[in-house]
Amino acid sequence: MRDKLDIQATTRTPAVSFDFMQNHLKITGESYPEDVTEFYGPVFTALDSYLGKLGSGTCRFDFELIYLNSSSAKAIMMLMDKLDAAAKKGAAVDVYWYYDKEDDTMQELGEEFGEDLENAKFHLEKMPG
Amino acid sequence: MSSDDLFAAEEQVIAAAQQLLDNGRFADRVDGKLYEELLKDYQKLFRTTRRLMKLSDRNEQQLNALSQEQRRANEIITQKNQELDALSTKLSKYLSPQIYHSIFTGAQNVEIASSRKKLTIFFSDVVNFTETTDKLESEDLTNLLNRYLTEMTNIALEHGATIDKYIGDAIMVFFGDPESRGVKEDARACVRMAIAMLRRLRELRAEWLELGAEKPFHLRIGINTGYCTVGNFGSDDRMDYTIIGSAVNLTARLQSHSEIDGVLLGHETYSLVRDDVAVDEQTPIKVKGFAEPVRCYKVLGLYDDLAAEGSVIREESDGFKVLLDLQKQDRAAAVAALEAIVARLKASGGGAA
Repeated sequence: MRDKLDIQATTRTPAVSFDFMQNHLKITGESYPEDVTEFYGPVFTALDSYLGKLGSGTCRFDFELIYLNSSSAKAIMMLMDKLDAAAKKGAAVDVYWYYDKEDDTMQELGEEFGEDLENAKFHLEKMPG
Repeated sequence: MSSDDLFAAEEQVIAAAQQLLDNGRFADRVDGKLYEELLKDYQKLFRTTRRLMKLSDRNEQQLNALSQEQRRANEIITQKNQELDALSTKLSKYLSPQIYHSIFTGAQNVEIASSRKKLTIFFSDVVNFTETTDKLESEDLTNLLNRYLTEMTNIALEHGATIDKYIGDAIMVFFGDPESRGVKEDARACVRMAIAMLRRLRELRAEWLELGAEKPFHLRIGINTGYCTVGNFGSDDRMDYTIIGSAVNLTARLQSHSEIDGVLLGHETYSLVRDDVAVDEQTPIKVKGFAEPVRCYKVLGLYDDLAAEGSVIREESDGFKVLLDLQKQDRAAAVAALEAIVARLKASGGGAA
């Protein structure tokens, strides 16, 4: 397994910063890729590999998204499912959902995503600044 | 219809399925468990569908809002562009069209800078302007002067001149920058322009006399060709696109020595236009800054015009050129000279074709 996965942000895709050694994973920015599977495929693969070895370890996942289209929302839900499944197997998973204080849509979306998590611990936070 | 109504059928399916479970309708515990998990997945799928639909609708709303904002911004941009167009049209009247064009297309920077070029310069001045217009009311003077300047400017632009400036009734233009058709052609265009101006002024004088003007305008014109420094001069806040140099000063001096309704050329201009323009060399003039008296030439007219009037006979083709100025040359002497040439031609063995 790699130590890190770093993908730079573009105008259509978010920055991905997975620091597996520190057990700190992060997705930041806007997400409306032309091909959602092409972008999120490697992210899923890296996450699966990491979570497969996590066992009862701890993991923190930060979502700091400003805008996402429907396909990306589905991809985010799939990420949440993977995290929740890892938590169900015994890992201590904390999911942080950061939203802009002016953005009701992202706040509500975060609340709804949080409701689906049965095992991972969900935190809804305003973005700093 | 609310979003709840939209999903009423799915809600009923979930409620009915839940009731089946609650009523213990599954005798087989494994079947019951599978059914329960199936219902849970269906519920999740249902939540996902509603969530994505809601997100999609909100994104569309945002897109529409942005689109409206963009439309409003475009309207403002269009309005500002129209204002800018109107303003630049007003400003353009303070600049020569070529200068305006070269600045607004970005071909030329608006900065203090200059270059050295060979230009043909033109100066004209109304003879005794102050005395001529002294008795005129301000409005009449304005109309008269503006009409005169407009007519002259139109002719200048038709000939490709760059209007440098108006100094009261005086006009200063030049040829060769920012556009040039070559030094020779620039000089030719300038002389043709001067002749066209004098011709138009004769027509205007007739009009003005009919309208009651006591002393219609008469001009003096000077034309000279030479190296000038051309560019923006002034300060960063206020600059003029103009030319400077001794060739400019000499043009002004030629203008002041010109006859009334005449054009006086400097030597270099003359050498560039001599094939097209009939001239009469004048007594050299003394000019401040020039060690020797300056040679100058009074324009008599374009050979083409003079030939049409019959005062000049001109025949020209490759390797053959005859120019006979009947104002300068005695007819009998000219005939004798031509006959001598014909005789030499015949004697050399060519004979008549």
